Amino acid sequence: MSGILAAPKNLRRRRTQSAVFRWLCLSLTWLCLVLLAVLLVHATREGLPWLDWQFLTDFPSRFPERAGIRSALMGTLWVIGFTALFSIPFGVAAAIYLEEYAERTRVSSMIEVSIANLAGVPSIVYGILGLALFVRWLALGRSVLAGALTLSLMVLPVIIISSREAMRAVPGSIRRASYALGATKWQTVRHHVLPAALPGILTGTILALSRAIGETAPLIMIGALTYVAFVPQGPMDAFTALPIQIFNWVSRPQEDFHALAAAAIVVLLAVLLLMNAVAVIIRIRTQGPRS
Amino acid sequence: MTENTAVTTEQGPTSEPAVGDAPILETVGVTIRYGDTPAIRDVSLRIPERMITAIIGPSGCGKSTLLRQFNRMNDFIPDAGMDGQILYRGVDLYDRDVDPVEVRRRIGMVFQKPNPFPKTIFRNIAWGPVINGFKGDLNELVESALHKAALWDEVKDRLHDSALSLSGGQQQRLCIARALALQPEILLMDEPASALDPVSTARIEDLCFELKERYTIVIVTHNMQQAARVSDYTAFLDTGKLVEFGETNQVFTRPQHKRTEDYVSGRFG
Repeated sequence: MSGILAAPKNLRRRRTQSAVFRWLCLSLTWLCLVLLAVLLVHATREGLPWLDWQFLTDFPSRFPERAGIRSALMGTLWVIGFTALFSIPFGVAAAIYLEEYAERTRVSSMIEVSIANLAGVPSIVYGILGLALFVRWLALGRSVLAGALTLSLMVLPVIIISSREAMRAVPGSIRRASYALGATKWQTVRHHVLPAALPGILTGTILALSRAIGETAPLIMIGALTYVAFVPQGPMDAFTALPIQIFNWVSRPQEDFHALAAAAIVVLLAVLLLMNAVAVIIRIRTQGPRS
Repeated sequence: MTENTAVTTEQGPTSEPAVGDAPILETVGVTIRYGDTPAIRDVSLRIPERMITAIIGPSGCGKSTLLRQFNRMNDFIPDAGMDGQILYRGVDLYDRDVDPVEVRRRIGMVFQKPNPFPKTIFRNIAWGPVINGFKGDLNELVESALHKAALWDEVKDRLHDSALSLSGGQQQRLCIARALALQPEILLMDEPASALDPVSTARIEDLCFELKERYTIVIVTHNMQQAARVSDYTAFLDTGKLVEFGETNQVFTRPQHKRTEDYVSGRFG
């Protein structure tokens, strides 16, 4: 007597399906990780011999052994710094307005759809916009400011969308508790919604800025220089950026420059990981008391 | 239930019960709609001061809707609208120059599910008074609020722990303490014990008895025993209409309407 608890045929089939799906997901996850690892190992192996202090502090040169990324790294830091400065306040403010204040009208839903569409616009299009708007019309030239504004436009939709998602995930019961204590909308947003949404907002923002830091097309479009032998001293100076430098080196015929590009990629990835680490630290710090 | 004797109740579907003292809260022909659907129809009620008034009725009868209208929490529901008047000490709560934020400071609310902020016990209670401009000894205020909510002895040694580390019943008493810290005159309770076990429920009910010395309590409940146990007055709502309102023992022992009798004796709902 196998008893009433023996697995019927149909249950066995469901279990198999479940197991197959689990292994499928697991192997696809590993595939992604392995591809990433191969990429990292490849870049590191090729670039590591070139990666030293001199590489970071020297300007680009036509002699590989004297070439460095000083101007590109500094240009990237300048541009991404200003991009963060412009895009975070505007993006978060727009998200707060749309999520907490705006009434559900036809106009606001049109704005929503537009933002979602803007998030999918190719970056080269933002480059063209930046060229027309910032470089020519506002006469900012090929400056750090023009580049940062262009990238800001590009990342704004992503920051707005992810910030809204984060705020929407804050339970309504917390808002109601706040309002029932005689809090105004701003007090509720400031003390309850924003702190609870901060980890999500940060994650979205860092991801968006990570995308911006690797962008080449819009910067080339607005005329960022490919050979720069100086470090920008202010927002109105011309600049180059790491991905442009990488692009420039990769397109040269000499093998040594390809290795230099690999080394620059390692530096770019290190900057990215540093940004993510900062986000993780802020997230842990701001999570507050938990049970 | 001792001092309210010799009250005569008129007959009629929305009869106005004779209540000794002047009401602290009075609804006059209140109709509440969500879009075109009325949730409350032409309800007139007089809620007496420093008493516990229970609002009972089957699910979907509009009792929570009515309660939320008392502290303007329905303002947050985009298509909610109201006809009629709700008077708080004679002042129309929905008058043009009444600030809903001030209404909510004076008329506190406790929700169905405990909803403490994910902050410390201390900050949960101190936050409301602080944002409302409280200048005084916060420690004293927090302690007295916790005493009033009968929670002090259980949490006095861990005021700076997360409120989320408390049990469900403790969290609900914390929410009551949080509302009391603002020194409201009225405390609205929306099925405050429905998510709690019987022991925690009994503690909340005991607490209600103590609180009515100083506060007016309006409690929505779907638990008829609870209404019978804790309240002085009971309003019975059915499909948005006020069927009966009167002294609790009268509503439960000598209901004037067949519908009320059927409901309180458990024949439907």
